[in-house]
Amino acid sequence: MATESPGTAAGVDVLVAEDSKIQARMLVKRLTDAGHAVRWAENGADALTMARERRPDIIISDIEMPVMTGYEFCKAVKTDPALRSVPLILMSTLSDPIDIIRGLDAGADNYVTKPYEPDYLLGRMRSLLDSPLGDAAEQATLEVAVAGQKFNVQAGRQQVLNLLISTFENAVAKNQELIAANQELSIARDRLQQNNAELTQLNDEISRRNAQMVRDLEAAAKVQRSLLPADDVALAAAEIAWRYVPCQKLAGDFLNVFPLDDEHAGLFVVDVSGHGVPSSLMAVTVGRFLTPKVSDQSLLVRQGADGRVVIATPAEVATQLNRLFQADEFSGLYFTMLYGVLHLPTGRLDYASSGHPALLRVPAAGDVEFHGAEGFPIGFVPDVEYAQKTLQLTPGDRIYLYSDGVTEAMDKDQEPLGEQALAECIGGSRARPLEATVAGLLETVEQWCQPAGPLDDVSILGLEWRPSR
Amino acid sequence: MDQFRRIQTGKTGDIHMVLFKDKKILDDTVLDEIKQEINTLLGKCTGPDVLLDFGNVEFMSSAMLGLLGQLHRKIVTGHGRLKMCNIRPEIFQVFKLTNLDKLFSIHKDAPTALATFT
Repeated sequence: MATESPGTAAGVDVLVAEDSKIQARMLVKRLTDAGHAVRWAENGADALTMARERRPDIIISDIEMPVMTGYEFCKAVKTDPALRSVPLILMSTLSDPIDIIRGLDAGADNYVTKPYEPDYLLGRMRSLLDSPLGDAAEQATLEVAVAGQKFNVQAGRQQVLNLLISTFENAVAKNQELIAANQELSIARDRLQQNNAELTQLNDEISRRNAQMVRDLEAAAKVQRSLLPADDVALAAAEIAWRYVPCQKLAGDFLNVFPLDDEHAGLFVVDVSGHGVPSSLMAVTVGRFLTPKVSDQSLLVRQGADGRVVIATPAEVATQLNRLFQADEFSGLYFTMLYGVLHLPTGRLDYASSGHPALLRVPAAGDVEFHGAEGFPIGFVPDVEYAQKTLQLTPGDRIYLYSDGVTEAMDKDQEPLGEQALAECIGGSRARPLEATVAGLLETVEQWCQPAGPLDDVSILGLEWRPSR
Repeated sequence: MDQFRRIQTGKTGDIHMVLFKDKKILDDTVLDEIKQEINTLLGKCTGPDVLLDFGNVEFMSSAMLGLLGQLHRKIVTGHGRLKMCNIRPEIFQVFKLTNLDKLFSIHKDAPTALATFT
């Protein structure tokens, strides 16, 4: 292609002066693709030598180049009688009006701004080649004022006209590009606004649903709180104190204490495995069976044949619950429970445990004791009978029921609090009021779990037996 | 044979060996995945013999017991056998607290456990 003879309709002999290899390569490729023979020089001086070796049909020159700039090169071409009629295009950024004066002064025929559109450059070349400058174009000195400064420019009239028109055309082309870019921008902006509106709408929707969910959770938490001791619960011969801290809004733990009849009180702590919504749903379901109100539902009390209230033994309650709640039906959820029935006049405590941590007895005088009862968690083994144990309290004795959120509370090294620490904490606070001992134990648990806080629900129920006589 | 994320499986005779890969079996996601993987492994087996190896497990939530309970029920119903081994003392405590050490067949190590399958 480079051998194509100059002067044919499509292919002409082009000389390119460009110091950037990458830009030169791109330009040369575009020109050769368009069918032109191309020579390339790295600076104005080399380009001038090459132009003198063989007169090109047209020259395209960069401005910023080492050794000899585009202006100097242009001037050299335009003052060389053999070359001055060769059209010369300057590639400029045209960032300053002075550039135009410099171009005029150098005698450039045309400006193409960088970055250029290949088609635009080829179009410029074609029009320059179609209207050749006569060798005889007269020289005149023109006085031009730019940016408050006067310049005297030596240039032929035709040349000045060509250059200014090309500058103008260039500006028009740039302006059109700007208008097109502006239109694209405005389309993009419209789209953005639309997207923004959609996002806002989605955000509102999320907030709305979130608020709904929070309301639902709070409603559920309220239902769950109904499983806890009533505010006004009072037993004839016992003081009670309790703490219940779910680790999420909804818990698998619950506890309660209430009179079953005039002489008996029932008390329990239930711990459904896991926590959160599924555990809480199961807790509420289980809770409905553990009510002191005589009903078809209650497993704790029923109407006897003689119309009197019959109190189920703790072992019966555990056995019944185990019959009702087999783990398969609840996707692996099971629960542990310690349920006791206290005979208020005598201090006899009957209790059964279904895999639940042992209860703690703090005698009025003497050491702390743990009292456990064997039994699998509810839901593990169908049709087992639960064992029952009895503990005789003496006046002033305290007992504590709790969930494994107390003993299994983990510190930052995954070390559980353990029964020993529990016994020390409760035993050490024997002299303080019952309420203070329960509050103190919760504080101990929370301290132990610093900084993360308890990862399980924490339930503590304390009772002090104080018979009236 | 290593197609699972949470468990490593093998077979000794007809006994399915399941080794838990996790050090901590605490959150629900891990638990769900273990459950799914064991279900996939045992698939349609009725009453398989299964040995669970807890050798890697350092921490385990009590919710895992529920999963073991379900598995135990399913296997025993089909007249299979479920045994466990390599349970470190801290983990054994979780079983003991809930009396489940008396429900499950727990052995010192894999060879001892395997010997009891005969």
